[in-house]
Amino acid sequence: MKPVKNGARRMGRYSAFDLARHGVARNGWPRAWHNHDLRRAYDVVVVGGGVHGLATAYYLAARHGISNVAVLEKGYIGSGGSGRNTAIIRSNYLTPEGVRFYDRSLKLYESLSTELNFNVMFSQRGHLTLAHNDSSLRTMRWRAEVNKLEGIDSEVISTAQVKELVPYLDTSSEARYPVLGALYHPPGGIIRHDAVVWGYARAADSRGVHIHQNTEVLGIDVAGGAVRGVATSGGKVATPVVVNATAGWATLISDMAGVAMPITTSPLQAAVTEPVRPFLGPVIVSGSLHVYLSQTDRGELVFGSAVDPFPSYSMRGSLDFIESLAGHVLELMPSLAKMRVLRQWAGLCDMTPDYSPIMGQTPVEGFLVDVGWGTYGFKAGPVAGEAMAQLIAEGKTPELIAGFSLDRFMRGELLGEKGAAAVGH
Amino acid sequence: MRRKAQATGVDMRLGPRPGEIIDRSRGLTFTWDGDTYPAYRGDTITSALAAAGVRVMSRSFKYHRPRGVMTTSYLDPGCLVQVGDEPNVRASHRMVEPGMSARPQNAWPSLRYDVKSANGALAPFLSAGFYYKTFMRPKRLWPAYERVLRGFSPGGAVSPEAAHDYYDKRYAHPDVVVAGGGPAGMAAAVAAAAAGAAVMLVEGEPELGGHLRWGAAPELAALGDLRRAVAATGGIEVLTDSVVTGRYDGNWVAVVQRSAPGVVERLIKARAGVLVAAPGLIERPYVFSGNDIPGVMLSTGARRLINLWAVKPGERAVVLTANSSGDAAVCDLADAGVDVLKIVDARSGEDVVRAKGGRTLRAVECADGTTVECDLLVTAVGWTAPTSLLNMAGDRPVYNERAARFFPGGGHDDVLATGGIAGDGSLEQLIDHGSAVGRAAARRAHEVSATTEIPSLPVEAHPALFKARTHGFVDFSEDVSSKELEEAVAEGYDSIELAKRYTTATMGPAQGKLESVNAVAVVAAATGATIAATGTTVWRPPYSPVTLGALAGRSFEPVRYSPMQPWHEAHGAKPLVAGQWIRPDHYGDPAAEVRSVRSGVGLIDVTPLGKFDLRGPDVPKLLNQLYINKWSKLALGSVRYGVMCAEDGVVLDDGVTGRLGDDHYLMTATSSGAETVWEWIESWLQTEHPEWRVHVARVTSDFASINIAGPRARDLLSLVVDDVALGPEEFPYMRVRSGSIAGIDGSFMWRIGFTGELSYEIHVPASYGLGVWETLLERGADLGVKPFGVEAQRILRLEKGHLIVGQDTDGLTRAYGAGLDWAVKLDKEDFAGKPELGWQEGRDDFLRLVGLRPLEGTAVPAEGSQIVEAGIIVGRITSSRMSPTLGRSICMGFVAPHLAEPGSAISIVAPDGSRVPAVVTPQLAQVDPKGERLHG
Repeated sequence: MKPVKNGARRMGRYSAFDLARHGVARNGWPRAWHNHDLRRAYDVVVVGGGVHGLATAYYLAARHGISNVAVLEKGYIGSGGSGRNTAIIRSNYLTPEGVRFYDRSLKLYESLSTELNFNVMFSQRGHLTLAHNDSSLRTMRWRAEVNKLEGIDSEVISTAQVKELVPYLDTSSEARYPVLGALYHPPGGIIRHDAVVWGYARAADSRGVHIHQNTEVLGIDVAGGAVRGVATSGGKVATPVVVNATAGWATLISDMAGVAMPITTSPLQAAVTEPVRPFLGPVIVSGSLHVYLSQTDRGELVFGSAVDPFPSYSMRGSLDFIESLAGHVLELMPSLAKMRVLRQWAGLCDMTPDYSPIMGQTPVEGFLVDVGWGTYGFKAGPVAGEAMAQLIAEGKTPELIAGFSLDRFMRGELLGEKGAAAVGH
Repeated sequence: MRRKAQATGVDMRLGPRPGEIIDRSRGLTFTWDGDTYPAYRGDTITSALAAAGVRVMSRSFKYHRPRGVMTTSYLDPGCLVQVGDEPNVRASHRMVEPGMSARPQNAWPSLRYDVKSANGALAPFLSAGFYYKTFMRPKRLWPAYERVLRGFSPGGAVSPEAAHDYYDKRYAHPDVVVAGGGPAGMAAAVAAAAAGAAVMLVEGEPELGGHLRWGAAPELAALGDLRRAVAATGGIEVLTDSVVTGRYDGNWVAVVQRSAPGVVERLIKARAGVLVAAPGLIERPYVFSGNDIPGVMLSTGARRLINLWAVKPGERAVVLTANSSGDAAVCDLADAGVDVLKIVDARSGEDVVRAKGGRTLRAVECADGTTVECDLLVTAVGWTAPTSLLNMAGDRPVYNERAARFFPGGGHDDVLATGGIAGDGSLEQLIDHGSAVGRAAARRAHEVSATTEIPSLPVEAHPALFKARTHGFVDFSEDVSSKELEEAVAEGYDSIELAKRYTTATMGPAQGKLESVNAVAVVAAATGATIAATGTTVWRPPYSPVTLGALAGRSFEPVRYSPMQPWHEAHGAKPLVAGQWIRPDHYGDPAAEVRSVRSGVGLIDVTPLGKFDLRGPDVPKLLNQLYINKWSKLALGSVRYGVMCAEDGVVLDDGVTGRLGDDHYLMTATSSGAETVWEWIESWLQTEHPEWRVHVARVTSDFASINIAGPRARDLLSLVVDDVALGPEEFPYMRVRSGSIAGIDGSFMWRIGFTGELSYEIHVPASYGLGVWETLLERGADLGVKPFGVEAQRILRLEKGHLIVGQDTDGLTRAYGAGLDWAVKLDKEDFAGKPELGWQEGRDDFLRLVGLRPLEGTAVPAEGSQIVEAGIIVGRITSSRMSPTLGRSICMGFVAPHLAEPGSAISIVAPDGSRVPAVVTPQLAQVDPKGERLHG
């Protein structure tokens, strides 16, 4: 594909100096991104203005000089899974392939603030997966050993070490699910998820990418086995390349191109408390208790759990969820009983049979997918965007994502991280 | 009794007020920030402090600005305090108790002199989202920057020592839940109950009454009438200091009782026929410069302070009014002896420009150019309709320009609205509307008519007042100003959701109830869109913040024990947590337990085995569907080992199933997989083959299960069984018999051999389990019978090379990889996992499960250790133990296909980094590979 220059504009730089200058002069900051009229044609149309779609657009423009790109977002950017997840980043996966893939993502996240000139507030305060029985301790040993051999900072630590890291945890042997140890992953942590979305959007916009919010895709025009264009609520657009990066809505968009996907959509619920003074450093995950929690820089506790046990597009929280979540949190930290839950919500997860994504080409030429991320989507945003951009620019599936192709289901070659744990955060 | 606070020397308490809720005969003291203050029973923390002239209750989040009382309600944004070990207590709602110790939050070193208030001067640099624009370089300093940012996090503190108090839950099935006990809510409850409905009336304040409570004589008279009507009407359960926190699908309504006898809080889960939302209206703050200075109050806040707690809110006041609430405040202030210096009537275009002051208000600058020195500014600029409960039912609020507020979208059969959120009107009209809604709710709850007409309330015109010509705070708890919202819009965050997320406006403890509409109005003005088009953010549950304790209840996590647990405990069993079960890991020496099984006979309690009683003519079809092997020809009295795979061909579970009668089977599943298998069975029966005639009952806990293993197992069993022939010909391997064991009828026994020894698994009715266990030990004493635990069983089965699903398989192990090729019967018509296994057949590129023998017999590489070849992972250890039978270490593990041949040398990397060389053994079994002991 031929790179197109189309009047990329320089964005106002963010720095402490500029912050001070703006503070004194009190003149406004430039817009982080702009509104545009829909062009008649784009080289690439990305459907979905979340971290995957925006990262794809950014890397297309920044790395490959392809900037005649539209990102179409039904609502506002980051309104789907990108703004609803619990923002946990880690790379201590179970399979060597998973470790390498997510480690690339973690590395991109580590340098994202400087790359995008937008502080995404990646808080690497560590990630602890608790073992409450000997079988999870065994799986953690396995993960730690794979991680170490792949060069990832990851180890199994004792109950006493866990207590030292998180004094609020009930590590007594009287606990209903005693803590027998934990998998400790120091580079893991949490990030400001909205900032990742905005950082990519701003950097993509400054390189000429058009971000169209409140623009819904109504149909995909396929002729002769190839993509010709997209019908949107804002009008028709011609394009040879459409990227489906719509997570929970992935099958609906793929259906428009006539591509069936082995994906079901299930809600994943989360909740947040009122802020309290900082007391929790690392992210805490308990597979046995189906809960993970972290404390944000603002002092709120953020909780998540496993996906709901049935497919649905509902994004309303349920009472059962928040009750069982609270019970499990208090099993871990009984002293938090008086903290108050402020909000609960749900996001949609696009679940595949092997808990691994579907990335790359499809039987329809030009219709590319970056979907099926299930509960891991946010962690993979940067690396997925990087790989999809490379695929579009070079017309060839990068090695890193070759295993994630749609046709693996036709060949029966499942892969993935299902072995890790049901609650894999 | 006049009680002047020593700490301040000020007394703002008024003489008795007609509607006051304090009990002047019951004085008490409490401490605030270390000083002792007087109070009356019925005072809130802030009313008592305000009576003592305290004006600053907290410091704000970002700029550490002094904040005081504004709404004197649960939502009061500047009045979150620490009480003992409880953070974020709503001091304008929480009643003082004798000896209570309350402390300010977010102030250091003191409320009066807060070091971080210097941030106020930095406000221009700390504008919304400033942290996204800096602290990026150098990267290595970010953790240090982050620590500083974290230091600013607002809120109180939790203590790791905080007691885990008792919380409670209750289920209720009312016909009608009325959320809100104001006039319309009370009228609705009375009308619904009179129409025969069982009603639950929920009010957040300690008493029913809503705004009537702080009204004048006519309101108080009406309040008395309504309360009497509620009390006189049967069928109304009144819950005060309680709040409907959520409406979930199916009208599943959550109610939190904040004060209930005997418990800290109680969560009531009510399956409501109809939910009536009657939350009233929330008064909206006005946005202008200095709108957060202590002394700036809402009209309802000032009126509540005067009329409920008899506290004078200030000495000299300016009142900005656009409605009757402001006008009533003028009367109340005058009545309380406050000098009302100026009334700024917004209805005739007058306005305030800014409030001036530091720790307290000093003056108000008005739009007419005058500046009035005063210590109190009361604003009454309009209302917000808290439509959250309706939103949770899918309703989207609609903006009404005439009334300058949002209204429910309407149109729900099981959620109705009345009172202020539904419209305006006289008190009489509100009560009539409430009554009509109550009657309709009762009818709908009884499904008499789902389309009852409900009269509508008038909508009165109200000036659209959100922001003065100066900038001020929109969100007080988050310290977000209108200027910051405008800047956010200018930077591109130009929808309400993006502006909210960028500035964090509406995301604090008041959940947007005070701030949301002002934020929408500011964003609308900045984008040039209407408020209607800008819309609101989505209100999510809970309606009001709920403690984790209330949601968790008793934190009831069941523990399952076998009937033999008392014996295990009395005999020194080391407990093993296995999912819901706690069972014996060993009784002191697992190696000795192994030897005793191999040389004589042992007993293990295997009650946690999942057990399912299957009956019906189509059971063989079900078994064929669930298991990968064949089941059609299982003879009566036979047992078969079966393997289940998920649809991806991955091994899901294994176990044995025996045929007890023509249409009667007993299926077992692994202890840890029992719940999954149950769901799996139900999923096939309910969603795929509802036509199959199969009844499934979970009987895991109905039977106590004991495995008798060892060369002398038959000898032991024969001591307790008379009516079943046990000889090797009469009762061969893989057969099941029913009969009487130790005199207990209705027992089953089958011959299987997980341990590799001659063994019988017996299942006796659970209530006799302990007796049978003790009988076996007693009668078998001469045979040397010993109990053994899970650890010994794991060693025994590893010696025998039997895999454990979930340990020697994982989420990617298909039947072929686990060496279960023999079980896969692709010629069956269908079974779960068939297509996937069909693809796999004949492939040889997956890891194989093999037996491994470390060359150094003392080395036991930890389970999870990786097998490495030239730096590449080529396998892992799934099981490893020291074998007491062989006197050396043994392992099972996965290896790459090229290493799977017996005799292949492999290298294991132990967790400490050391290398353990090993060879692949000829079979998985390293003890008795020919199975002679098993079939004996």
